[in-house]
Amino acid sequence: MNPHPSAPETVSGGAFSAHDAVLGWVEDIAPYGIFTTDDTFHVQSWNQWLTARSGLSAPDLVGQFLFAKFPELRTRGIERRYQNALKGEISVLSAALHKYLLPFPTSVHNAPGPHMLQTVRIAPLVVRGKIVGTITIIEDVTERETQAAILQRQQQHDHMLSRALSVLLRTTDPMRDIEELFPSFTPALGVDAFFTHLSDPEDNILRLSASGGIPARLKEELAALPAGTGPCGSCGLTHAPTMVRGLRDNADPAYSELRASGMRLFASFPVAVGEHLHGVLSVGSYHHDALPADETKFLSTLAQYLGIAMERLRREAQLITARKTLQEHAEGLETKVQERTALLHEMIAQLESFSYTVAHDLRAPIRALQGYSEILSEDFGHLLPDEGKFTVSRLAKASKRLDALTRDLLRFSKVARVDVELEPVNIAEIVEELRPYSPEFQTALSVDLPLGTVLAQRTLLQQCIANLLENAVKFANPREHLRIQVRSEPMARPTAAAAPLTPHAFNPATFGGPRPASADAPEQPWFRIWIEDNGIGIPERARAKIFGIFERSAGSEHVEGTGIGLAIVARAMQQMGGFCGVESQVGQGSRFWLELPAA
Amino acid sequence: MVLTIPQKDALTELINIGYGRAASALSELTGYRVVLEVPQVAIHEIDKVAPLLATVINGEVAAVNQVFSGPIAGNALLLLEEDAAIVLSGLFDQERAPTRGFDASAREVITEIGNILLNACLGVFGNLLHVQVAFAVPRLHVETVDDLFTSITGDAAEKLTYALMIQTRFSLRTSDVSGYLIIILGITSLDRLMRELEHWEGRQLE
Repeated sequence: MNPHPSAPETVSGGAFSAHDAVLGWVEDIAPYGIFTTDDTFHVQSWNQWLTARSGLSAPDLVGQFLFAKFPELRTRGIERRYQNALKGEISVLSAALHKYLLPFPTSVHNAPGPHMLQTVRIAPLVVRGKIVGTITIIEDVTERETQAAILQRQQQHDHMLSRALSVLLRTTDPMRDIEELFPSFTPALGVDAFFTHLSDPEDNILRLSASGGIPARLKEELAALPAGTGPCGSCGLTHAPTMVRGLRDNADPAYSELRASGMRLFASFPVAVGEHLHGVLSVGSYHHDALPADETKFLSTLAQYLGIAMERLRREAQLITARKTLQEHAEGLETKVQERTALLHEMIAQLESFSYTVAHDLRAPIRALQGYSEILSEDFGHLLPDEGKFTVSRLAKASKRLDALTRDLLRFSKVARVDVELEPVNIAEIVEELRPYSPEFQTALSVDLPLGTVLAQRTLLQQCIANLLENAVKFANPREHLRIQVRSEPMARPTAAAAPLTPHAFNPATFGGPRPASADAPEQPWFRIWIEDNGIGIPERARAKIFGIFERSAGSEHVEGTGIGLAIVARAMQQMGGFCGVESQVGQGSRFWLELPAA
Repeated sequence: MVLTIPQKDALTELINIGYGRAASALSELTGYRVVLEVPQVAIHEIDKVAPLLATVINGEVAAVNQVFSGPIAGNALLLLEEDAAIVLSGLFDQERAPTRGFDASAREVITEIGNILLNACLGVFGNLLHVQVAFAVPRLHVETVDDLFTSITGDAAEKLTYALMIQTRFSLRTSDVSGYLIIILGITSLDRLMRELEHWEGRQLE
């Protein structure tokens, strides 16, 4: 149709018929309701679409006064739109503001109301430039609005779920948070009441943890439900949602308390992850007998989220417990190590003190033994037969050796007990001081000067060098003329620092004190003092052991000695923060070395 | 073309009478008191309108446009910023959830509001100036101001040269929404409007 009044004013009668025909055709085929009135609002035409949807046929309507047939149009103020149409105005009536023009039933499932929602246009009906009546076009928008409403509910549910999720992701008490969230959810859902139960794995009882919208008496009834009992019992057992519609007509005794409270709908959803049931989320309605499918889905998803949140907390709690146990264990271990170390230190101290005491106290009777065997030999030797003399001489020898042993033991424990104070020590000086002590030193010892000055304790270092010189004399090669050479060489760093003491790199013939505090510490020059001989040498397998107490090289049984001398060297070097070691070849001699920082 | 002060006063008064009618129609529709403030009226050359509006409207506009014809012919538009249109539709439709945005239903509400306002303004031509105009069905456009003016001026029968711009403001339940009513006219229609305005003033003085 053409509302244009300036449309051909000089139309012929034939054109008018064509115009009429077009209108008739449009009325027949258009997917709209179309009716026309004359200028006194009496219905002139009523199309098939309207007949089909209103139940009113054209013969019932045509010729009737519109506002008498539909008096609501007057009370709702729509009559004026028709009057304006006669003045040439076109009106649009939106479904949102008016719902409908004429009250037709709707066939759309899930429609928001009982009436067809309509968008309407009311326009002047113009013939030959003259307004002769009105034309109304009705569009059924129920389907569109229903879909929009469904979409809106979905969006609302999504919004609520994402809100719940954001809360549950960081919650420390999911049930309390759900209790706070639920009141904001219920207006959008068809439920009025909710309650949550926590499953107690100890005694298999569901305990009420949060609730809203239920009377106090019902709350008491729901407080503790043994497995399988009460309204949410079966949900707790089967981990499957329970839905009870039309509770008023349900005779099941499990729901009698809910029924008594006036509840008409009840549903419960498992709060579970896998096989583990954390609890049950239940909802109820006092106004509706059923829960729409989308709300059931929403609540089911919410229960799942709740389950995941509780599972997360359960795992976190387990993790915290495990960490705590581990930490306690570690602390226990550390305490044990400390205790044992302390015990070990105490034992070592006791042992050292014991060996000192033994050695010290042994010496008096040994000297007595020595003295008396001398008296026996000198004063009564002539009275003894040869065998007796021999026995006495063996006795004297043994007691002399015992004295040497106790003396060396005493020295060793003194070295271990002494507080070391380092000072610059001139090596050549202490070597020269040793020369008079032995005739072999005077003949065999040669010194390559200069030997340098090191940081050491004078007496300890002298003891070390004396022991090594004595050793050279003791283990001289009987077939060679003994030569002992003492020399020294400067070094950038100690041997032990150059070769880190990893288990495999450990040089078994190297002994020494603490390593420099840090590899980054400024490097200090060191001296290595060599004491070289042309003696019998030390077999390779013995080299590692000779610095131990009472250890003697194999094949040296004929040599006099206590086996403590090298142990004293190693211990003294350790006390002074130095190192010692040996290089040797059997039959060719040994090269002992001592390393100390330069002074 | 510049309006003389008496012309401007006469136009403002004429539009204001139309607004009174529109406000009561809108109030009746919603059940709330709708206040339409006294409009500001100006005439601009049509080429100047889009740049002028671009300074006050950002992005897309929701425009209800209704072509009218008769002795005075042209195109009448209600322009709202898109966000303002969503707010306005929400103010009228209480059942709407704010999440729905500018859907089909909201577009219809804006179309109806535009229809009522435009009918009210153009209706005064018929009622007061005794010039009978006919309207086409209102249509809603959501596009930029430039695109809107290109499409409107392109398919007009008479070359549209002048725009009667009426700035308007709705107050409804503590909320204010600004909009622009624009009536675009050709030179002959504008000339006729001015003459009818003078006649109307003459009748008022009698």
